[in-house]
Amino acid sequence: MNPEKWPADNMGFPPDKNTGLRLFLQTVIARAYPRIIGQQREKSWVFFDIFLPLLAVSAYVFVYRAIGAPEEYVGFVVMGGAMTAFWMNVLWSMSSQLYWEKEMGNLSLYIMAPNSMMAILLGMALGGLVATTLRALAITVLGSWLFEIPYAVASFGQLFLVFMLAMIALYGMGMLFASLFLLLSREAWHLSNLAQEPVYLFSGFYFPIKSFNFWVAATASIIPLTLGLDAMRQLVFPSGAALGFLSVPVEIGILAALCVIFLTAAKLLLEHMEKLAIREGRLTESRR
Amino acid sequence: MQFAIHTENLGRIYKIRGGKKSDPKELEALRGINLEIAPGELFGLLGPNGAGKTTLIKVLTTLLAPSSGQASVSGFDVIKHPQKVRARINMVSGGESSGYGLLTVRENLWMFSQFYGIPTKEANRRIKHLLDVVGLGDRLNTKSSDLSTGLRQKMNIVRGFMTAPEVLFLDEPTLGLDVGASRDVRGFIRQWIDEDHTRTLLLTTHYMVEADELCDRVAIINEGRVLACDRPATLKRRLQQDAIFKMELSPLNGLSVDSFEGLPGVRKAIHVPKDGSAELDLILEKDDALGGVVNMMTSNDVHILNLQKREPTLEDVFVDLVGRSMEEVEAGES
Amino acid sequence: MQKTSILNIQSLIPDRQTFTRSFRIAAWLGWQIESNWTDPFLFAVYSIAKPLAGAAILVVMYSIITNGAFESPIFPYIYLGNAFYMYVGGVMTGISWAVIDDREHYKTLKYMYVAPIHMPTYLLGRGVARFIVSSISVLITILFGVAFLHVKIDLAAVNWGLFFVSLLIGVLMLAMMGLMLAGITLLIAQHVWFIGDITAGALYLFSGAIFPLDVLPRFLRPVGFFMPITYWLELLRRSLVGSVAQAFPTLSGFSNAQLMGILLALTTVFAVLAAVIFFWCEHRARERGMIDMVTNY
Repeated sequence: MNPEKWPADNMGFPPDKNTGLRLFLQTVIARAYPRIIGQQREKSWVFFDIFLPLLAVSAYVFVYRAIGAPEEYVGFVVMGGAMTAFWMNVLWSMSSQLYWEKEMGNLSLYIMAPNSMMAILLGMALGGLVATTLRALAITVLGSWLFEIPYAVASFGQLFLVFMLAMIALYGMGMLFASLFLLLSREAWHLSNLAQEPVYLFSGFYFPIKSFNFWVAATASIIPLTLGLDAMRQLVFPSGAALGFLSVPVEIGILAALCVIFLTAAKLLLEHMEKLAIREGRLTESRR
Repeated sequence: MQFAIHTENLGRIYKIRGGKKSDPKELEALRGINLEIAPGELFGLLGPNGAGKTTLIKVLTTLLAPSSGQASVSGFDVIKHPQKVRARINMVSGGESSGYGLLTVRENLWMFSQFYGIPTKEANRRIKHLLDVVGLGDRLNTKSSDLSTGLRQKMNIVRGFMTAPEVLFLDEPTLGLDVGASRDVRGFIRQWIDEDHTRTLLLTTHYMVEADELCDRVAIINEGRVLACDRPATLKRRLQQDAIFKMELSPLNGLSVDSFEGLPGVRKAIHVPKDGSAELDLILEKDDALGGVVNMMTSNDVHILNLQKREPTLEDVFVDLVGRSMEEVEAGES
Repeated sequence: MQKTSILNIQSLIPDRQTFTRSFRIAAWLGWQIESNWTDPFLFAVYSIAKPLAGAAILVVMYSIITNGAFESPIFPYIYLGNAFYMYVGGVMTGISWAVIDDREHYKTLKYMYVAPIHMPTYLLGRGVARFIVSSISVLITILFGVAFLHVKIDLAAVNWGLFFVSLLIGVLMLAMMGLMLAGITLLIAQHVWFIGDITAGALYLFSGAIFPLDVLPRFLRPVGFFMPITYWLELLRRSLVGSVAQAFPTLSGFSNAQLMGILLALTTVFAVLAAVIFFWCEHRARERGMIDMVTNY
């Protein structure tokens, strides 16, 4: 250490600090940063996040071929397979993330800083979304090329809107889970595990949810990916509309409502859970 | 006067959930803590592990709600106005690893600076400068997972100072650091506080020498209670009347500490067994009492290898207040 | 200066005491951490909800396309292949995840390394818990298929000897693959997924688990024929429902004994590969100081 360097360079004076909206945005970007940069820094992700999932998706493609399914199902599977990346990301990097942050000692530093925890969660979501979009896009492009999937996009505008709404609602749900899981430890881990495969099933990652009866499909629509996937399939595949659950405009409306519901619920619950955690002393304890 | 830190009858009870083989329990970590710390003070909390130091810091840094009493930092109540408190404080804990291993030192520190609203340009300037101060200037672009424990702790310390807090909490900041690095950190802390009298620093430690060397005032805390609170010199003066001896002896041959304490004029005896010898610390009311101690040793065939009269330390103050040494308290806890 | 060899034969093979000590303590530890399935909630999650949901995806896919023709031999082919395939993810994840869990979460990997235990044996032991949980999942999935989905298994006609011997060799083979992944895990960061599960997902394509290898494009088939999982699943199907195996010609040219021979030979090859890969990765990890790294982002 060179204490003689202290207090040179005007360091003694407190810097001007941003507050309010600026602080909020700064926090979002700062927490998104490790998500985007950290992942790229470990090159192994290309192999494990793109190549291997692509093989897994291909397995389902060949099951359809083995049982003589119409070719459009191949397109459904590739799209569903690409979207599983988002579900994995929400489960493992959003919902149970605060558990990891607690174990690593970061959670107390986040809470103790003058920012809003909502901004931290949004940052995690934004970073995860950007990083995962890259993977999902790569899987879609490679899968479409390998299996020569024909696309007939009905409306790029609607497609973009559906994707954005589905993502906002999905990551809103991730934020809601993260706040719910704040008080939990290893249990959060188990709950994420519980949700993984059943959602693959009910959200129709590998087949159109129209195949379920109406009430099952309607219940499954609480998971934003369900209607997001259904609407996107309707918009990009020639025979998509015939296999759609509800009409695209209705699905857009429901997705918009889900965005509002999940984000509001996440905010309210986070405030409540933070208070509860501070009262019960569960922000910093590590129950390994 | 507005205190930098003020607590009034602060209490905290932990409810420990029962397991399969145990019933739920309550643990009283803080019991009626009253502290008044003025701006500009470097205040030490001294106590064994489990005394309640970290719990107190958690309450003051808004991470934990007290079960009773009140606490304020920089004039703001920690429960009613946590956001106002948070904008004015920072905390560094020893032995923690903050941030993300895949990010570099600069990136981790930048991320934390953003949570405090420091504009990027200013943040980078501060990071660069502070890393130079702590001798980490050449590690700006090293991944934090590649840092040694000591260097990671220095990065943590920069994280705490970087945001220019009004009140800084340092929880065992030299834990796990080697002698040289600890000395550097202490020098740095002292300088930071001396430079600007509006800054306040609360330091917890269970190293007596650290508290003695650094702190303007010290509170000795045990089992959630403040036993004494004053300047180190004043605390030690309580024992000025006493005679304190340190003896190195051959093994005690079955003599117990109690047998020494039973002698007239012996206030406290602490025995530290060593390999092939023993160390005995004695707090006597007067020098004269030493005769009785020596007699007892001679009659039990215990040889005195070394005898030293020494000045009281904060350790002696702790023993005087608690009746046991800090090591004994910690051994009892575990 | 003499260059130290990466592969020290003595370090590869533990003595019996070290083996027993490493394996027993790791299995106990894994059980404590992983799968306290006496907890009804965890039992429901890991042994019922996850496996049945996974199987249901295939069942729904099948039933949409075939209008519920569950009598066709392809259905039990898919169903049983998928059920036993749970062992692949389970065993491989159990062994490889222990590296991440010990390194990043409990931060004990370095202590394991300095303890007088045999690291590969320790990791194999850590996989025991997941193996047991997978066994229960497999059993429940098959029972569900028999009870509700017309999967017909005639207990009297089952070749039990062949079944248990194949199962045992298969689990050993999967454990070796898990060890390879554990080695690779020593060199990579913690990502969101389990390397065992994601590798299992990818190998799904090449193992003839849910469709006969003939369905694959010709250039991909050799990969499937090199995978021991292919022969293992075929043996399990043959031992449980012989008629299903006969319906698909891919491996019908081989007798049970020939298949067993191929499985054994490939298992040996994979065991050697596992040892080489694990110790090479471990060597690299030590060289680069990655044994106690904490990643996460």
